Amino acid sequence: MFFIEINQNFAEQTRFLAFFIGLIAIVWLFLVYYSNKKYGTKKTVIYFLPIIIATLIIESAGVASGRYYYPGYIIYLSVVGGGVPLIIILAWSANLFLFLNLGRHVISKIYQKRNKFQIILISALAGLFGVCLDLLEDPIAHYNNWWIWEGTLEGIKFFEVPILNFIGWFVLIFFMSIATLLIERSRYSENRKILLSLSSLSITGTTIFVVHGLIVKLFELAGLS
Amino acid sequence: MEKTVVQFILENIFLFLPIGLVGIVSTLILMLISKKENIPRSETMESNYITIYHVRFNIYFLVYLFIWIIILLIGLFSNFIIPTIIGGIIAIIPFIVFIIIEYKTKNVKVR
Repeated sequence: MFFIEINQNFAEQTRFLAFFIGLIAIVWLFLVYYSNKKYGTKKTVIYFLPIIIATLIIESAGVASGRYYYPGYIIYLSVVGGGVPLIIILAWSANLFLFLNLGRHVISKIYQKRNKFQIILISALAGLFGVCLDLLEDPIAHYNNWWIWEGTLEGIKFFEVPILNFIGWFVLIFFMSIATLLIERSRYSENRKILLSLSSLSITGTTIFVVHGLIVKLFELAGLS
Repeated sequence: MEKTVVQFILENIFLFLPIGLVGIVSTLILMLISKKENIPRSETMESNYITIYHVRFNIYFLVYLFIWIIILLIGLFSNFIIPTIIGGIIAIIPFIVFIIIEYKTKNVKVR
């Protein structure tokens, strides 16, 4: 079920892939180092590990479903039949940490109350910031074959990238941010928070699955997908 | 024929259902048997700044700007000009929001 694959043909069929991988590696290493220094190891695990596991499953399912694939990377992981590059999983964890903290920074300046509504505001802004960056990144990635969307996919597209992809970005970052913030702000011990952040993935994952599924259905009913 | 991720998960529900159930049950157990002991600290945003040449920068926005610049350069060097420019304009919106919020809240503090 789980396997690791090493690809011998690095950057095959792609352009500028080494630069993209280098960018992710630098950003990920810096953010993990910074998080570890500022928040400590346990909080860093809470910020990075659950999203790594969640996106490993989601991306693997995405590849296995035949909607897109990743050519030319070095290390691939697979849990449900689709090979996902390790660097993509790490990129997701850097994305969540970055956008969560960007959202938190902006919202805490305009809404200081530390309540559930603030968590929703932070998570919504984190999701929107994520989509903004992806609207730049995804078309370039598709054009340079860092990942390839199947040409037969129907529906509205933004430079060959399906709109549902951007909705997926928002839904994933939004709900993962909510889960992370709720656990971070709870009064459980640090060890308990780590366990909760991992076990609650099933609840967060189910919520993401249901909400994204409903959006897909709405798009189908509206004839947009 | 390609499917959505949701369709894929539904077709493999017998793989995902047990994993999901184990997670939900263990989360409930963890929440119920644990005593709450930690008082969460308030977040200090000021420590997320670094000073470069007497100018204070927020680290997260510096990282965002770094990603934006590199991706933009790759897009331009790929001769993918129009989508890169359109995407670049959209992706700079968070930075503009950040600058406006910084400026507004700075003014409030001075008053």
